[in-house]
Amino acid sequence: MKNKVRALRTQRNLAQGQLADAMGVSRQTINSIENDRYTPSLPLAIALARYFGVTVEEMFDDQDL
Amino acid sequence: MIRICSRQFARSKWFLPLFSLFLGLVVFVASWIGGHLGAGAVSLALMAAFGLLILVAGRSETIRGLRGDGRDERFAQIDLRATAVAGLVLMLALIAAWLTQIATGHTGRPYDWLLAVAGIAYIAAVAFFRWRG
Repeated sequence: MKNKVRALRTQRNLAQGQLADAMGVSRQTINSIENDRYTPSLPLAIALARYFGVTVEEMFDDQDL
Repeated sequence: MIRICSRQFARSKWFLPLFSLFLGLVVFVASWIGGHLGAGAVSLALMAAFGLLILVAGRSETIRGLRGDGRDERFAQIDLRATAVAGLVLMLALIAAWLTQIATGHTGRPYDWLLAVAGIAYIAAVAFFRWRG
């Protein structure tokens, strides 16, 4: 699913590993989400949105569903 | 509490190495009872070596995921798919072995009841997970 995780992360000068540690997942999982290869679970999507202070809808593009 | 501890243990790097050692010990005892102490010792040594290898292996995601300490929701999904593929391959192998047995004039045992167990387990699991929602 297309998303703005990479854009939001780089805006805050965060490394994938730092975001992964904050979310309690692996760096590879963050990388997979950023490259649209993995759609996160609802709890992880909400945690990511809260972390960046945006809504889930702003972060994830549901047009390709 | 027990559930949390067991989940933490399953996600520690000790899970697979200790499970391998446990399995090796079970095979060793079974072989010992069956009068094949040497074969049991070899199996135990192989399983212990595999566990040690996994324990000291590198930090690749595959190794950490298999070991237990690199598991997150994505790896849980990978694990589920890999288990499904392994189950499918096992079922196909059982069907092939069963058909070969029947075609060569044998009864098809024990492949017939192994296939029955697999089929019943699948239907029971579908019913259970549908009921659980």
